[in-house]
Amino acid sequence: MHGILEKTILEPFDRLAQQIAQVVPVLVTVFFILLVGAALAYLVRRLTHGALVLLKFDRLVAGTGLSGAIERTALFRSPSEFGARVAQGTVWVFIILFALSAAGTQVTDALVARFVNYIPDFVTAVLVLLLGSAVSQFLSRSALLAAVNAQWAEARFIAGSVRVLLMSLTVVVALEQLRIGRTALLVSFAILFAGIVIAGAIAFGLGGRDLARDWLDSRIKARPPAEKDPLQHL
Amino acid sequence: MTLLREDLRSRLDEMEEVDIVAGIPSFNNARTIAHVVRAVAGGLAKYFPDRKSVIVNSDGGSTDGTHEAVMGADIDHDSLLLVSHRVPTIQKITTPYHGIPGKGSAFRTIFAVTERLNAKACVVVDSDLRSITPHWVELLAAPVLDRGFDYIAPFYLRHKYDGTITNSIIYPMTRTLFGRRIRQPIGGDFGLSGKVASRFLTKDVWETDVARYGIDIWMTLTAMAEGFRVGQSYLGAKLHDAKDPGADLTAMFRQVVSSLFGLMETYEGVWQKVESSEHVPMFGLPFDVGLEPIPVDVERMKRAYQQGLRDLDGIYRSFLSPSTIEGLVGAALETGDGFRVPDALWVRLVYEFAAAYHGKQLDRDHLLQSLIPLYLGRTGSFVLDVREADAVMVEEKIEVLAREFEAQKPYLLECWDVASKRR
Repeated sequence: MHGILEKTILEPFDRLAQQIAQVVPVLVTVFFILLVGAALAYLVRRLTHGALVLLKFDRLVAGTGLSGAIERTALFRSPSEFGARVAQGTVWVFIILFALSAAGTQVTDALVARFVNYIPDFVTAVLVLLLGSAVSQFLSRSALLAAVNAQWAEARFIAGSVRVLLMSLTVVVALEQLRIGRTALLVSFAILFAGIVIAGAIAFGLGGRDLARDWLDSRIKARPPAEKDPLQHL
Repeated sequence: MTLLREDLRSRLDEMEEVDIVAGIPSFNNARTIAHVVRAVAGGLAKYFPDRKSVIVNSDGGSTDGTHEAVMGADIDHDSLLLVSHRVPTIQKITTPYHGIPGKGSAFRTIFAVTERLNAKACVVVDSDLRSITPHWVELLAAPVLDRGFDYIAPFYLRHKYDGTITNSIIYPMTRTLFGRRIRQPIGGDFGLSGKVASRFLTKDVWETDVARYGIDIWMTLTAMAEGFRVGQSYLGAKLHDAKDPGADLTAMFRQVVSSLFGLMETYEGVWQKVESSEHVPMFGLPFDVGLEPIPVDVERMKRAYQQGLRDLDGIYRSFLSPSTIEGLVGAALETGDGFRVPDALWVRLVYEFAAAYHGKQLDRDHLLQSLIPLYLGRTGSFVLDVREADAVMVEEKIEVLAREFEAQKPYLLECWDVASKRR
C-alpha cells in the first residue's frame, strides 16, 4: 500500500517539485533581469534625452528631413525624444535577449543566436535608411532650389521625384541588407524604375512632340546664343 | 613664397623695389585687355612719371591670346600728350595664378607681387573695361601715395537699373555694419596701399568664395573693419565688355552674399558697436555721363518671386518670422504695377537671412539660393518704383533704403543674438 502511494502520488509530486525547483530560479532570474532592465532602460532614456538636448540634436537634424518625418508620426515630441526612445528600445532588446539567454532552453538559445547574428545586418540597414533619408532630403532640396532659380514651373515635381527615387533606392538597399524578399524587391524596383523611364519617354514623346523636336534640334543643330540677363547685378 | 612661380620670383628679384603695382586679373579677355593695359600704362606714365611702376596681368589660363595682347599693348605717347622729358619704361608681367579659378585668386597673386616688390601702392582694374581712361590710375593711386589712404574704392555713375545687388543689399549693409558710406563696395577697381595688400595676404580665406566673386566685398569690409583709412574716387561711367556667360546670377549672388554674411561673423565684435554712418572722403570731380539704357523684364522677376514663395514656402517657414512671411505673401498678391516689396519688409528679410546664416538653421548654400527669388522680386519692385525717376531721385530712394537698414539695426542685433544662442 505504501509502495503504491509512493509511486502514484508522491513520486509525481516529487518530480513536479524538482521541475518547479529548476524553473523557479530561472523565472526569478528572468523576472529580476526584466525588472532591473526596465529601470536601466528608463535611465538610459533619460540620460540620452539629456545628452541629445545638451548636444542640440533637434537643431542638428532640423535640415535633414528626420525632424519632419518624426513630426508627421505625431508619436514623439522632438527628435531628441525620438533618439531617447530608440536608445531605450535598444536597451530593451538586449535585456530581453539577456533574459531569454538566462532561460537557457534550446528554443530560446536558438532564438538568441539567430537574433545576435542578425544584429549587424539590422544596424547596417538602419544606417542605410538614415543616410539615404538625409541624402535624399538634401538632394531634393538642391534640385528644388536649382529648378526654382531656373524658373521651371515643375520645380516641386522635380524635387519630389528626386526624393522618391532616392528613397526607393534606399529602402531597396536596406531590405536587401535585411534579406527580406530579395528577388521580389529587386525585380519590383527594376520594373518600377524602367516603367518610370518608359512612361517619361512616352509622355515626353507624345505629350511634348514639338518640345521633343525642338530639343533634339537644339542638340543637333547649332544652338542660338542663350538669352542674356541684361542686368549687371554686382 | 610658393604663390609665385620660380621664374616670376627671379624676375621680381631683378626689379628689386617699385612704387606702384598695377594689377589686371584676366580670363579670356583678349578683346579688351590691350585697351586696359594701354590706359593703365598711360596713366602711370602721365601721372606718375617719377615713380617706378610695373603692370601685372594675373591670368586664369586664357586660351584666346590674352597673354599676347598684354605683351603687345604699347603706350601711345602722342595721344596721351606726355610732355615729361623722361617717359619711364613700364615693365609688364603676365603670369598665371595658382589656386581655385576666380578673380580673388588672381588678386592674391597681384598682392603677392606687391609685397615682394615692397610697392607703396597697388591699383587693380578689371580687364573687360571699355570706359577706363589713364586718369583712373591717378584717381586710384594718388590718394594712397600722396594722402596716406590705405584703400580707395571706385565711385561710378551707373544706370538706375544697374548694380542691383549693390544697391539693395551690399551698399546699405556695409554702411550699416561698419559706419562708412562707400557707395560701390564691390565696384571691381580699387587702389590700395602695400600695407593693406600684405594684410590681405595673411588672411586664411583664399580657398573660400573670396577667391571668386567674393573678393571685392571681402577687401572693402576687411579694410573698414580693421580700421584702415578708406576713401572713394569718382571714375565716371563703368562700361564693360559683354558679360562673362559663365557668370550666372546664382553663383555671383551666392558668393558675394556669403562673403558678406561670413564677414559679419568674423567682425562681429566690430559692427555690433557701430551706431551710425559717415561719409568717406571722395576724390575726383563728379561729372555727368551718358549711360547705356538697360532693358529689364519686371514680369519675369515678379514670376520668380511668386514661384519662390509658392515652391520654397517650407524652407522660408523654417527660419523666417511669421510677420515677414505674411508681408512677402501680401506683396505677391499685388498685380500689375502695384507690385512692391517695401523697404521695411526687405530690410527685415535680409536681417533674418543673415541671422539664419549665422545660426546655421539651414545648409548655407541652400539658404543663400533661397534668397534669390526674393531678391529678384525686390529688384522688380525697385524697377517699378524708379521707372520714371531721374538719377538724383534714384539715389534718394537708395538713401532712404540705407537709412531703413540703419534704423532697423537693433532688430539685426536681436536676431543675431538669438541665432548665436542657437548655435
